[in-house]
Amino acid sequence: MTILFETRSLTKSFFGITAVNNISLEVEEGKILGLIGQNGAGKSTLMNLIGGVHQPDSGQMLLADKAYTPRNPADAKQAGIAFIHQELNLFTNLTIAENIFIDGFPTRRIGPIRFIDRGQLKRETASILEWVGLDVPADTVIETMSPGERQLAEIAKALYFDARIIIFDEPTTSLTARETERLFEIMRQLRDTGKAVIYISHILKDIAAISDSIAVMRDGVLMAQESAESFTIDRMINLMVGRKLEQLYPPKTAQSEPDTLLQVKNVSAKGLVKDIDLSLRGGEILGLFGLMGSGRTELARIIFGLDQFDAGEIYVEGKRRTANSIRNSIKNRIAFVTENRREEGLLMNVSIADNTTLVSLPQFANDLTLYVNQQALSDAAQQASQILQLKSGDITTQAAKALSGGNQQKVVIAKWLLNEPMIFIMDEPTRGVDVGAKYEIYTIIDQLAAIGSGVLFISSEIEELIGMCDRILVMSQGEVVGEFTRSEFDEERILRAAFREGEEKPHAAVK
Amino acid sequence: MSAIQTEHEPQTLNLKRIKATDLATSGSLSDRLVRWGKKLLLSDYFILIVSIIAYVIAAQFFDRLARPLNMTNQLSNMWPLFAVAIGQTFVLIIAGIDLAQGATIALASVVGAMIMAENLNPDMFDKLPFWGSILTENGGLLAGSPIATPVAVIGMLVSGLLVGLIVGTLITRFNITPFIASLVGFIFFSYFALWLTQSRNISGLPESFVNLGDSGELISVYFGPKLDPEIRRRDILAVVTASTVITLGLAFFAGYLLNRTIFGKHMIAIGTNPRAAEISGVPTRRVITLVYMFSGLCAAVGAILYTARLEIGQPTLGGLNLLLDIIGSCVIGGSSLFGGKGSIKGTFFGVVFFVLLGNILDAAQMSPFVIDAVKGLFILIAALLDYTRTRLVRVEQST
Amino acid sequence: MRKLIGIVLALTLAFTSVAISTAQEGLTICFGFQDLETEFWVAGHRAITQTLRDQGVEVLEFNANEDPNRQLEQVRDCIAEGVDGIIIIPQDGDSAVTIVNEAQDADTPIAVFNRPPNDRERGIIVVADNEIITEQAVEFMAQKALRQYEITQEPITPLILVGALQDTNAIGRRDGFFNVIARYNERYPGMFKEPIEVATEWDAATALANLEAAITANPDVDFIFTSSDFLFPTIRSVLEPRGMWAPTGDPNHVIMGGLDGDATACMLIDQGYVDATGVQDLFLEAELTLSGILDAIEAGDYQPNAVLPDPGFALTAANIQYQRSDMWGCVLYDEGFLDN
Repeated sequence: MTILFETRSLTKSFFGITAVNNISLEVEEGKILGLIGQNGAGKSTLMNLIGGVHQPDSGQMLLADKAYTPRNPADAKQAGIAFIHQELNLFTNLTIAENIFIDGFPTRRIGPIRFIDRGQLKRETASILEWVGLDVPADTVIETMSPGERQLAEIAKALYFDARIIIFDEPTTSLTARETERLFEIMRQLRDTGKAVIYISHILKDIAAISDSIAVMRDGVLMAQESAESFTIDRMINLMVGRKLEQLYPPKTAQSEPDTLLQVKNVSAKGLVKDIDLSLRGGEILGLFGLMGSGRTELARIIFGLDQFDAGEIYVEGKRRTANSIRNSIKNRIAFVTENRREEGLLMNVSIADNTTLVSLPQFANDLTLYVNQQALSDAAQQASQILQLKSGDITTQAAKALSGGNQQKVVIAKWLLNEPMIFIMDEPTRGVDVGAKYEIYTIIDQLAAIGSGVLFISSEIEELIGMCDRILVMSQGEVVGEFTRSEFDEERILRAAFREGEEKPHAAVK
Repeated sequence: MSAIQTEHEPQTLNLKRIKATDLATSGSLSDRLVRWGKKLLLSDYFILIVSIIAYVIAAQFFDRLARPLNMTNQLSNMWPLFAVAIGQTFVLIIAGIDLAQGATIALASVVGAMIMAENLNPDMFDKLPFWGSILTENGGLLAGSPIATPVAVIGMLVSGLLVGLIVGTLITRFNITPFIASLVGFIFFSYFALWLTQSRNISGLPESFVNLGDSGELISVYFGPKLDPEIRRRDILAVVTASTVITLGLAFFAGYLLNRTIFGKHMIAIGTNPRAAEISGVPTRRVITLVYMFSGLCAAVGAILYTARLEIGQPTLGGLNLLLDIIGSCVIGGSSLFGGKGSIKGTFFGVVFFVLLGNILDAAQMSPFVIDAVKGLFILIAALLDYTRTRLVRVEQST
Repeated sequence: MRKLIGIVLALTLAFTSVAISTAQEGLTICFGFQDLETEFWVAGHRAITQTLRDQGVEVLEFNANEDPNRQLEQVRDCIAEGVDGIIIIPQDGDSAVTIVNEAQDADTPIAVFNRPPNDRERGIIVVADNEIITEQAVEFMAQKALRQYEITQEPITPLILVGALQDTNAIGRRDGFFNVIARYNERYPGMFKEPIEVATEWDAATALANLEAAITANPDVDFIFTSSDFLFPTIRSVLEPRGMWAPTGDPNHVIMGGLDGDATACMLIDQGYVDATGVQDLFLEAELTLSGILDAIEAGDYQPNAVLPDPGFALTAANIQYQRSDMWGCVLYDEGFLDN
């Protein structure tokens, strides 16, 4: 066995938070290394160090026994390290051949001018495509291809650069079963030709099946790196979850009330969600857990009326929703804190006060003259920002973009609060928020429930759901695959359900 | 996010330190000049001040610029351009663009004339599509009637609203980009206006309509001694005309809409982040359509003023050159082509800039072959100054 | 800030240099024109400005870029400036009326050059009689066609390229053409077929597209009149590939004529491709305009009204030898205008 690449005591922290802590990892030639860990475990940071996106604070990397210090992604590429991301780095408006050769086209000289040698371009592309088993012409435009074919095109591009280490970062989420199978075949082929492969995935079964050795990360630390035979899926989950819950969450003050605020019955939307049943009571915090692509965000968007569904019924406070529209939802006092603050939550260049009152604006305006009572508006915004303990300057002049992530999230919440919502859908409300602000947001969620609102709390962090929720639903591949009440909360079992690795049958969904 | 936030911290401190040293050496003339210049550059009135300074300097060389009649002329040139630019400002704020305004002016001009023209020569007009029905030898639809002018004005405004409704609907219902939707509107209605009149101008508009323009003098002044029994027409300065009142009325209405109403706040939300606005329950489609209708309305008001001063309904009124002045005025006045930014006051300053620039360049008597290139150069300079200004504002805000 | 001061300085310098060059004593006359996109207007612009400057008059020039509103604003600026007189080339006959009234109401004499206002009651109006000039040129062409008709007994297929019809010049030219055709058909029934009308909107691209279509549909066209000479290159590019671009004497020659008398037309008559062109006597028109306005100024007449006609003439293969010096196009041509 030859070690092609290794890290020695690699450490990287961002502003006091250690994302990668003293990691020593070995990657062998002709082997597949599976890398697993929860969201935020430090996998991406580690890959960014290897890829030259960030530079380590301490420790070193060795490539073929030589010091390897990439200063930017181009260096990494030069050194023979290729990344295949979940979000592909292809120019969708160009052809496969153009994408592969984008950094240097084969040329032919005619007189003083160099022309792109189309013939050679096509021949070389065709031979690479044949190798990865992608059966389309070299001049196919990327945007006309399926996600799986694009993934193969990306691999072809990596191969052209004669990469020695190929890193697959969650490559299968957008692939069909057959495409996934084909991908694994290629990974094995790569291994057999002596390349080193790093495979990052949430699908533990796949990891176990294809890897030669497995590395588990948690909280920036490498928990174990061992040969795959010695790893059971149980052990993987144990190592990934690890530590006990600490006092990260406010004491629970809310009490579930008997009346059902929201009932979703057999809702299906093609390609998004299937046969969803759920109910939310007043004062209840209902957790919705799922991995990326499990359909949790899609479900939230359907409930809020952003997207339509094909079958099923939604009842709000006992009344069936006929028109599934945003404005109908707002009228029914449903609030939606989206997972993407920047793109869907805030008007970045607009003042905090105007952001805060955007949803409830009609309350401040005269129906006939449309005149907005500016004083009432800023008073209301002021009040909301005090309740939420917003740290800001003058809210009538300071723009939302000048706030920190946590305070921006508070503005988004305040915007909905002024509409006195009954149902609060929160999609990843603590994403990109520091630990202190997280606690504050948890407190807000608890208080919302305490005044009788129902909260649908969507997260990919199990811990915060366990810390906050009355019940947790688990989604996978667009379906609800498990339900846990507070007494049944167990990180491992929830994760198992999400991975569909249940040793027991998951609980039946809510009737 | 929190990472980025913390990253900014040291920079901010740095800036503060620089400012402190600035203060320490204050008092010297050059420093005071720099601070004064910075204050000027940061002022909302920057473009206005620059325009006036340039005008005053230029007037030292070309005394014709300083003549009172020239000044009132420039004032009267501003009103119709300003009226149209107000509508364009609204559209730019919601991150759109309305090229159709150029055609709306022509269409409204022709529609108004077809309603109120007082006589039409059959030799010239008998090939027109509505000859014999709407148009006859006696003139337009309501020729000679006392309600001809009000109905014509309403007809013009309605045609503006209709063009806006069509463009807005194309954008909101069929997801066509504003540039293409309004370009289609521009081409279609330009040719529609030409077809309606078969490329002919319609003259003979009633006095009551002509008085809605510059001829409708409300306050005029005369400087100098009364020597002759009759004061010559060119010595009388029309300071306030009907077009002044109409345009300022429109401007105040627009300012009210933009700054004081829920409609204005919705516009800014849509222009800043349409997705966030929609999720927050802003009726985006309705607001966008209404904004394009308002833009058409403003173009129609501009058409009334232009038609009244030319005294003819003209199917080629407006057009591309005017469109460039309109959009240019808005952008120089601080509207952003990316939306979310713009004000009525700023657009007025932009109009002042364009009108005075034209006046100065004309006065300079440059060769007709270079005059437009020079105009382009000055617009570039103004844009660069504004760029510097925006950057300075950002730095100031972050301290 | 330093940048700003620099720009202000540059501004100042730019204005100074221009200011020095325009400082003069004596009469001041404003000249407002449309654009300089065809050589006819370049020649007209030159004829007026040069003649004025030769007489020691200061000329203020304003280009309205085909926007009548802009021209109205510029005329107002001229009035504000207190000029002694105004000469305009208007965009169309209707806006010309408004502009003439504007100037006369402000006691400023005004003359209209080449494109007459629809209302000829007010202002000094120098007008080429398009109808008559066209008739002179088409008459020469028809004479030639008649000889051909008498030999072959084949009816002639005439075609006219019509200008933009809101332009009174274009209407007059079209009328002149039809007058001559009608006159000959009366005398020699069956000599001319129904003329084919090709719309140009005074635009070469439009003309090209429409003429292509017309010639394809009617390949037997053998008599072409263009309402303006600037379209000859366009006609050539349509006829040449079809073998119809031939000099006089060649059996494939198409009898051809135009109006304006530009340098290209002069050259083509020299070479025999074109048979006749109606010429506005631009030099006479400039003279008439100037003397009209200068006389009024001298007489202290603020609202001079007069219609001064330019009878024009037809430049033909027969008279080009001794008439070429009266024709502005030939003057340009002989100066080498087409050489570069």
